[in-house]
Amino acid sequence: MAYPYVSDREVRVISKYFGDPKHRHVDTYVERGGYKALETALALEPDAVVDIVKASGLRGRGGAGFPTGVKWSFMPKDSNKPHYLLCNADESEPGTFKDRELMRWDPHQLIEGCLIGAHAIRAAHVYIYCRGEFFETNQVLARAVEDAYAKGYVGENILGSGRTIDVTVHQGAGAYICGEETGLMASLEGDRGEPRVKPPFPAAVGAFGMPSTINNVETLCAVPHIIQNGGEWYRQWGSEKSPGTKLFCVSGHVNKPGNYELPLGFPLIDLIEDVCGGVRDGNALKAVIPGGSSVPLINADEARACALDYEGCVEVGTMLGCASVIVMDEKANIVKQVRRMVDFYAHKSCGQCTPCREGTAWTARLMRGIEEGRGTEEDLDTLMQMTQQMVGTTICVLSDSVAAPVQSSIEKFRDEYLALIRRDEKVGVA
Amino acid sequence: MSEVPFKNPGWAGNTGDFDLTEDQVRGDDFVGERPLDGGHASGAGAMPYMLSERNPDSKLFEGEYQERFEKILTRYPKKRAALLPALSLAQELRGHVSPESMDRVAELLDLSPAYVRGVATFYTMYNKRPVGRHLVQVCTNISCNLCGADEVLDAFLRYTDTELGQTSEDGEFTVIEAECLAACGFATCVQINSRYFESVTPAEVAKIVEHLKANSGGDD
Repeated sequence: MAYPYVSDREVRVISKYFGDPKHRHVDTYVERGGYKALETALALEPDAVVDIVKASGLRGRGGAGFPTGVKWSFMPKDSNKPHYLLCNADESEPGTFKDRELMRWDPHQLIEGCLIGAHAIRAAHVYIYCRGEFFETNQVLARAVEDAYAKGYVGENILGSGRTIDVTVHQGAGAYICGEETGLMASLEGDRGEPRVKPPFPAAVGAFGMPSTINNVETLCAVPHIIQNGGEWYRQWGSEKSPGTKLFCVSGHVNKPGNYELPLGFPLIDLIEDVCGGVRDGNALKAVIPGGSSVPLINADEARACALDYEGCVEVGTMLGCASVIVMDEKANIVKQVRRMVDFYAHKSCGQCTPCREGTAWTARLMRGIEEGRGTEEDLDTLMQMTQQMVGTTICVLSDSVAAPVQSSIEKFRDEYLALIRRDEKVGVA
Repeated sequence: MSEVPFKNPGWAGNTGDFDLTEDQVRGDDFVGERPLDGGHASGAGAMPYMLSERNPDSKLFEGEYQERFEKILTRYPKKRAALLPALSLAQELRGHVSPESMDRVAELLDLSPAYVRGVATFYTMYNKRPVGRHLVQVCTNISCNLCGADEVLDAFLRYTDTELGQTSEDGEFTVIEAECLAACGFATCVQINSRYFESVTPAEVAKIVEHLKANSGGDD
């Protein structure tokens, strides 16, 4: 037994060394087969690397699920401008805690993934945009980068291949919106992290105005394993459209919360009841948010029918997002928790677009009124109507993210709202 | 990291079969001492910390900090990109980012003061006014909230004798609510200066506060 909790149903590919502090050292990493994939990749043409990743079907793990190989293939092939690879390590979606663990336990895996990605898109510089609050993680990562430089895995003429790739760890300063790719680029350049309209897409005009690609930490961590073992190997797990393994961050009312690496398509109910040891105190399951705070809630019946892959979640009316499973039992106060999420978005809205800046604040105010017993039934209609106007009307999807939990909770847990509006006694506590 | 008088409530302490030392869990063993001259251009020595020992009158920048600042400049193709790291360094030295600090950083990076104000006020980690020696940030977002973060927050306010967002009279503590700190499986998560305390229960708060009072000064 090691990492807080492990399960024998896990397939630990990228999380294999969680809980082993020796693995942070470059020598241990190399002894265990590290940087072999980098050697393999550097011997190949960039396009051949892209083809392997395409064949694996790896999809972006940051939430959108866009195929990684396809994203890489958008980069220009013969431009004389410098290219950049940006690693999105600005993890701050409520419910998500996988990237921090990946970086603090296995920093070299990420560095190797970044180097292979940089080779594939012909980039000479990688920026790892790491969340500002992660002081410890930033130090671990930066130290690992230094070790990799010292050993010749990063820097000039890597492993005698003639390729030069630099890696820089960039520490953010606290802004959820910098996890949005254009916001991240603005922030890296020393500006406010305000997203901008696309096109132009980052592959044409990205960081510092140059062609750039942005990948999530978990995506890049999977890359060395795919290069080493081949695209077909990765397809032994998951489904045709969602192949591979994924880290599931389970939090909330379960007995064994934590990160579990499972094949995509894993049944949600097995994750809760078997892998995580069931709901706390043997309570009944009430609601689950399967993909972090930006996706619609589902009720217990829907959770029983939900398979955890990109398509399976859509079938039950929600999204996989970044697979942050938040579990709520019968004692949970849905209205309070949704209000807390809305508060988060109201705080994090960058303020550029009116529907988001005003909408998040008004939603938060109405939700709080209902929670504190000042609500009316008309408020529910207002909330539904207002959040509908917040979908698809803004530059980025932060505003859409508010609509998802609010609308789904009103649809599925209307009774709870009504109980608060009518000031009934029987409402959850936590 | 000095020895803690209580069992680290953080991270996996509740599984009962986890035998790593605190330094190993946190990575302090691995990181070791920071190179004072700013280290390699990758960033290790130039990465900011949040210290409890700081001086609002420090010069921006001199000595070790000047070396770190210069190292930061080598990391980006454009000078402006050094703005966020430079503001972080200023905060590490002075404890908060005052309008004067912003103006000084603007001067160093050839930017307009108005632009730097605009950027500095966008980000939550820059304290725009002085905070206590220990900035206690309790996550009360959904996952922690489900596991009782409100009670943990109340306990911190009670034991430090402060109002939410205010600094205690002795200047030791500022307690604020934080948004998700990305440690949702180890709820409740509390960040105190640079350091994460995880799986904190209301019962442990008194011990944490005592510990901080006893060890005031140096890294957290």
